[in-house]
Amino acid sequence: MDDIRSSLDNMVDQFNDSITHSAPKKLLFNRLSISLSDDSATLPKKRRMEQESPNCSLNTSNGSLNSSTTDPNGIMQTNKLRAELIETKARLNQVQEKLKQNDKKRRMELSVAESKVSSLQAQSDYTSNKMVRLLEEMEKMRGIESSYKEEMRRAKAELAALKLKYDDTVSKLKNEKAQQEHDARDVQLCINNELAEYRRHAQRADLELQSTLNELEFIRQRHDEYKVRVSGFEELRANFEKQQQSLKVAEERIKDLEFEIQSYTDWKQVTKVSQERLASIPEMDAELQRLRIHNRQLNKIIGDKLLLEEQVHEYKARLDKEEGARAEAASLQVKLTHTEQELKEWVKVAQDHCLANTLVSPAALRSRIEQLLQGDIVHVSEKYASESESKQMRNAVRDLEQKVRIYLKNIEDLNMNLKRHKNFKDRLQRKLRTVSRERDFYKQMVDNFDKDLTMSNASVAEMTQDMQVRYRVDVLERTVTGYKDLCATLDREIQAMRDQEQLSDPSSEDYENVKKELDTLRIENDRLRRRKEEQELEMMQRCLRQDISSPVSKVVHFADNPAAEAYESSKNMFEKLQAEIERLKRHNKKLEDANEQHLNETTTSTGGMTMNFKELNKLRAELESANAKLGKTKEHFMAARKEFRDVVYMLLGYRIDRVGYKSNYRVTSMYAESPDDYFSIALSESNDLALLETPYSETLQPALDQQLAANNSFPPFFSSLTLDLFQRATVTIN
Amino acid sequence: MSSAQATKNCITLKGSAQIIVEYLKYGIHSILFQRGIYPAENFDSTQQYGLTILMSKDPKIETFLKNVLSQTEEWLSKNMINKISMVITNAHSKEVLECWDFKMQAEMGDNQSADPTQRTSSKDQTRIQNEIRDVMRQISATVSYLPLLDCICTFDVMIHTLENTELPAKWDETGAIVIQNAQAVQLRSFSTGLHKVETVVNYKMST
Repeated sequence: MDDIRSSLDNMVDQFNDSITHSAPKKLLFNRLSISLSDDSATLPKKRRMEQESPNCSLNTSNGSLNSSTTDPNGIMQTNKLRAELIETKARLNQVQEKLKQNDKKRRMELSVAESKVSSLQAQSDYTSNKMVRLLEEMEKMRGIESSYKEEMRRAKAELAALKLKYDDTVSKLKNEKAQQEHDARDVQLCINNELAEYRRHAQRADLELQSTLNELEFIRQRHDEYKVRVSGFEELRANFEKQQQSLKVAEERIKDLEFEIQSYTDWKQVTKVSQERLASIPEMDAELQRLRIHNRQLNKIIGDKLLLEEQVHEYKARLDKEEGARAEAASLQVKLTHTEQELKEWVKVAQDHCLANTLVSPAALRSRIEQLLQGDIVHVSEKYASESESKQMRNAVRDLEQKVRIYLKNIEDLNMNLKRHKNFKDRLQRKLRTVSRERDFYKQMVDNFDKDLTMSNASVAEMTQDMQVRYRVDVLERTVTGYKDLCATLDREIQAMRDQEQLSDPSSEDYENVKKELDTLRIENDRLRRRKEEQELEMMQRCLRQDISSPVSKVVHFADNPAAEAYESSKNMFEKLQAEIERLKRHNKKLEDANEQHLNETTTSTGGMTMNFKELNKLRAELESANAKLGKTKEHFMAARKEFRDVVYMLLGYRIDRVGYKSNYRVTSMYAESPDDYFSIALSESNDLALLETPYSETLQPALDQQLAANNSFPPFFSSLTLDLFQRATVTIN
Repeated sequence: MSSAQATKNCITLKGSAQIIVEYLKYGIHSILFQRGIYPAENFDSTQQYGLTILMSKDPKIETFLKNVLSQTEEWLSKNMINKISMVITNAHSKEVLECWDFKMQAEMGDNQSADPTQRTSSKDQTRIQNEIRDVMRQISATVSYLPLLDCICTFDVMIHTLENTELPAKWDETGAIVIQNAQAVQLRSFSTGLHKVETVVNYKMST
C-alpha cells in the first residue's frame, strides 16, 4: 500500500514538476520561436534588447537608422533591414498572438489537468483506503483461516485420539465380553454341577424321606402296640386301685370296730361312775337344800351391799357438791374483796374527778365522764379540723413551693434573658462606640476635607504645588489609618460575635432538651417504621396465603376427583392388607400349632431317635467352629507358654520342666555341665517344696547343707549355684 | 381488511376464559409431572407456548380435568370465580402438602363496559402466550426449591366461587384447606385484558 502511495506521490510530483518546468519550457519555446522567427543571423545582443523592451529596440533601430545615414553604403542595407524589420515586426506580432493563444490553451489544459489531478488524487485516496481496508480484511481472513486450520488440526487429532480410545474400549469390551462369556460358561457349568449335586441331594433327601416314612410307619405300628399295652396297663391299674379302695374300706371298718370296742370299755366305766353317783343322790339333795339357803342369804347380803353402795355414792356426790360450793364461796369472797377494793378505787377516782363540793355518786361520775367525753369529742373534732387545716397548709406550701420553683425557673430564665440582654447591651454599646468612633472619624474626614478646601481656597497662592501634594498625602494617609483601625475594630467585633454565638449555642439547655427529644423521636420513628415494614410483610404473606379470604365465596370441587378416589383406594387397600394380615396371622398360628404337634408327636413317639437334619447340621457346624476356636486358643496358649518359659530361662538361668502327672518339677541350670545335672523338686499338698534326691544333688551335698538347710529358701541357693556355675564356665572358656 | 384485522385482535370474555382454561390445563398437567405425583412414564410430551409440556395419559385424569375445566370455563365467562386451587395431598393421611392457587381477577378491558359480556380486550395474543410461557417456565423451575414429596400423593382441584353459585350435579361444597407451617411463593402473573391470573404456590415447610 505504501508502495502504491509512494508511486502515486511520485507520479503527482512528476506531474507538478512538469507543470513547474513548463514555464522555463515556455521560455525556451519563446526563445525558439524568436530564434525561428529570426531567419537572418541577428545578434544575440540585439535579440536580448528586443526581449527587454521592444521600444528600446525601436530606439536602437532608430539609432542605427540615424547612424546609417552617415554611412552611404549602408542605405540599401538599412532599407533592406527596415523592410526586414517591418517584416519581422509583423512576424513578431503574429508570433506574439500565436503565443498568447498557446498560452490560453496551455492555461485551459492546465486547469483541466489540475481538475483531473484532484479527481485522480481523490480516487487514489479512496482506492488506497479501500485497499487498506481490504488488506485488513485479508489479514483477518488469514487469521480466521489459520485458526480454522488449527481447529481442523486439533479436531483431527481429537478424532484420532477418540478413534484410538474407542478402539481401545472396543477391544476392552470384546475382551470383557469374551471373559464374561467364559465366566458365563463357567457359571453354567458350576450351576450344572450344583444342579446335579442338588439333584443328588434331593434324591438322598427323598431316600431319607422314604426311610423316615418307613420309620414313621414302624413307629406308628409300635405306637398302636403301645396303645394296646397302655389300655391293658390302665385296666390293671384300675383293678389295682379298686383293690386298694377295698383294702382301705376294710381298714376303716377295722378301725371303727376298734373304736367301738374302746367306747364299750369307756361306757362300762361311765356306768360304774353313774351308779356311784345314783347312790349319792339323797346326800346331794341335802347339800342342795343347804346350798339354796346359803344362796338366798348371799342374795340378801348382796342387796344390802348394793343399797349401801348407793348411799355411799350419794354421800360422795354430796361431798363433792359441798366442796365445790365451798370453793365457790371462797372464790366469791375473794371476788368480793377484790370488787370492794375496786369500788373503793372507783370511789377514789370519782372523788378525784368530781368537783370538790358535789356529792360523790355514780350519776355525778357519769355526768363527769359524759362531760369529759364531750370534751374529748370536741377535741377530736378540733384535732381533725387542725389536721385538715395542716394538710391544706401543706398543700398550700407545696403549691407555693411549686410556684417558687416555677418562679425560680422564671427568674433563671429572666436572669438568662437579662444576661443575654446585657450581652446585647454590651454589644450595642460596643457597636455604639464603634459607630461613634466612625462618626468621629467621619467628622475628622469632613474636617480634613474642609481644611483641604479652605487650603485650596486660601493658601493656594502661598503654597507651592509640591507642598500641597505632600499635605494631601499626609491627610490621606491619616484617613487610611483611620479606615484600617475601623476595619480592625469591626473584625474584632465579628470575631467576638462569632465566639459568643459558639458559646451561647451549646450552653443553652433548651437546645439540649430539644436535641434529646429529637433523638428520642427519631428512635421512635425508626422503630415505628420497622414495625410498619414488618406488618406490611406479614400482610403480604397473609394475602398470598389468602388468610383473609373474601367472605362471599364457597369452595367447591368435583365429587369424582382423583383425591377422593385415591383415598378410597388407599382405604380399600388398607382394609385388604389388614384382612390379609389377619389371614396370615391365622395361617401362621395354624402352622405353629401343627409344627408343635408334629414335634410333640415325633419327640414323644420316637424318643429323639430321628432328629431334625437342619438342626443336626447346625449343631455340627457349631461344633466344628467351637473345635476350631479351641485349637486356635490352644496354639496361642502353647506359643505364649513357650515364650514365657524361654524368657524365664533367659532371665533367671533355670529351666523348670514338669515331669509326670504329679507335681514333680525338674530344674536345670543354664550353665550346667551336662543335661543330667538337674534337681528334682516336688510340690506337696500343703504347698511346700521338697528337694528330691538326684545324682546331681548328691554331688552338691555340702552346698546344700550350707545354704538350703541353713536358710530354708531356694532362691539364694539357686542364685549362688548359678554364680558358681557361671564362674566355672567363664574360667573354662578363658 | 382493516375491520377483519380489528375483529381478529379482539378478545371477548369467553375467549379470555378459554385462554385461562387452556393455561390451567397445561399448568395442572405440568405440575402433576414436575411434582412427581404420577409416574413419569404416564406422560406424553406436547408442544405448547413454545415449550415442551408433559401431559398425563391417564384417562381418569383426563376426564376429570375435562369435566372440571369445562365447568370452570363456564363460570369464568360469568366472572364467578375468585380462585382455583390445585391441592396436593398425602393419599393415606389426607394431609395437605401443597396448594397451587390460581387467583382470578376480572379486569375492565378496553371499552370499560359495565356489562361484562360486552367487554373486549385488544391485547395481542402472542403477548399473552409469552406471559403464560414465562409462568409455565417458573412452574417448572419451582421443583428446585419445593420440598420433595416422598409419599404417595394425590390431587384435587377446588374452585372458590361466589356464595350464590348453583352447583351442578356431581359437584360438592368442601371446606377451605389449611397447610400447617405454610410458605408461599408468588410466581409471575399474566393478563388477558379481561382476566388477570396470579399463580401462587403454598407449600408445607419441611421441619
